[in-house]
Amino acid sequence: MEVKILGTGCPKCKRLEQLARQAAAEAGIQATFTKVTDVDQIMSYPILSTPGLVIDEKVKSSGRIPRKEEILGWMKEAQG
Amino acid sequence: MDLLTYLVGLLQGGLGNLASYLAAHVLLCLLPAFFIAGALTALVPKEAVTRYLGRNAPKVISYPAAAVGGFVLAVCSCTIMPLFAGIYRKGAGLGPAITFLFVGPAINILALAYTGVAIGMDIAIARILLSVLFGIGIGLIMALTFLRDDAARDQAGNGAFAGGTEVHKSTWLFFLLLIGLLIAGTLQVGLFTNGYAQFTLPISGMDRFQETLDWLVPFDASLGEEGVTVQGVILILLLAVIGVSAWFGLNSVDEGYNPWTWTALGAIAATVIVAAVKMVPHAGGLEVLITGKMLGILVAMIGLWVVASRYFDEYEIQEWLWETWRFVKQIFPLLIGGVFAVGVIRGLINPKWIQVLAGYNTLLANLVGVLFGVFMYFPTLVEVPIANMFLSLGMHRGPLLAYLMADPELSLQSILITSRVIGKTKTWVYVAWVTVFSTLAGLIYGAWVDGTSPWLLLAYLIIGAAVLAVGLSWVGKRQRQSAATAQVSAH
Repeated sequence: MEVKILGTGCPKCKRLEQLARQAAAEAGIQATFTKVTDVDQIMSYPILSTPGLVIDEKVKSSGRIPRKEEILGWMKEAQG
Repeated sequence: MDLLTYLVGLLQGGLGNLASYLAAHVLLCLLPAFFIAGALTALVPKEAVTRYLGRNAPKVISYPAAAVGGFVLAVCSCTIMPLFAGIYRKGAGLGPAITFLFVGPAINILALAYTGVAIGMDIAIARILLSVLFGIGIGLIMALTFLRDDAARDQAGNGAFAGGTEVHKSTWLFFLLLIGLLIAGTLQVGLFTNGYAQFTLPISGMDRFQETLDWLVPFDASLGEEGVTVQGVILILLLAVIGVSAWFGLNSVDEGYNPWTWTALGAIAATVIVAAVKMVPHAGGLEVLITGKMLGILVAMIGLWVVASRYFDEYEIQEWLWETWRFVKQIFPLLIGGVFAVGVIRGLINPKWIQVLAGYNTLLANLVGVLFGVFMYFPTLVEVPIANMFLSLGMHRGPLLAYLMADPELSLQSILITSRVIGKTKTWVYVAWVTVFSTLAGLIYGAWVDGTSPWLLLAYLIIGAAVLAVGLSWVGKRQRQSAATAQVSAH
């Protein structure tokens, strides 16, 4: 599974990455994490505000930090 | 030896400045403002505003929404740029995006409350009114100047702007209480400043303690300096407690509360309450006067507690605390360093220089204010103590407003980032307009301070706006016509 964190490096983005990594580790899900920091690349996704969470090229959340359980739910859903 | 006295004098200047900025009335404004900023970020869904900034939104709605949206969305500079790029490329277009970029930093709740308390409500209000008005103006001008470019933007979907999230009723109540807390603590009316009860804490030697403090940090009351009071020492100790306990209690509060969280929250409540009472040191003890302020703050805090525990999800409150603490961590250390540095620098600047450059409300003086704002980059909120320093050194309030408008809007850094989003030409045209409008804002406000009739100024403003509107619609019509002819001839 491919997890992307969209954000220019603000504290929220770091927190989101931390939560996403924790969620994956706790559920034993194999995932690669990429941080997207380039504004142009971020804007190629349909989001307006960072941080954004993208799982397998689908935007799951933007502009807020979701709960760990939410992230876990999306990861399980993406895993099928 | 002389050099030593000089250096000690500078150091005392820094400490004195720090003391008067951490004084009770500033804390009463800053602490609630940080909590409001946190709540705006954590509790208001961004869609509540962005849905008015979509591609299909009419101009009458998108421009005011972009101006007001800054209040809700732009509390943190890290959200301004992505939103600006988003509104420009996928939403309402260049005009509203520019309005958002211009107004955002000016109506940020932290800067506004701080400016109002430290420099004066008149300047804070002038800053809101003029920046909203001029922000919309600059947005319209930019949109028309680059009409054809704007029409050729990539036609990506409108999806990001959809969504019908409503702001919950309890959220409104929560904001009302937070704003009530801010107002009760800062508004200088009899109801809040009168004392209603008093008692004396029997601690002997308080008067000598105060004398020692005055000797350590001497101050000049005629310059509006306040020195360090016994109350100030208690507040500084409480701030230290908050600093330590919040570090352990709020850094990852979104994972759950711990005993440190409660210590931090208790210390914050205690700080606000101690800042709201009046303390007079006597030989026999410390006299404490219960003011209307303190009662108002107490009522607002109890109200917040009830609303938070009854209507909000635990996670929402945790997120609110986390965002608030994040703002404090990000801004407060810079602010303390900045305020101290400003106090030291004030001792080095000859007031004559400032009076010659910007002592009167002239075109040149306002331009100097703007240029200083562009070439100096100060972190959020530090521009306020700097402005206050200039004011005490004899700067006229007009150029001061020009500086305050330009500093957060324009810095070399923000110009570079903006040009990556909208290109170099547009950025420099934008910079030119901001310079013109900020200078104008300073001139108008300065004229008002100097006693020009507000009606006359209003008349000028209306005439100016009318000329601008007619000119713009004429340019717009011509461009549309030439675009139409170009299309016809292409067929």
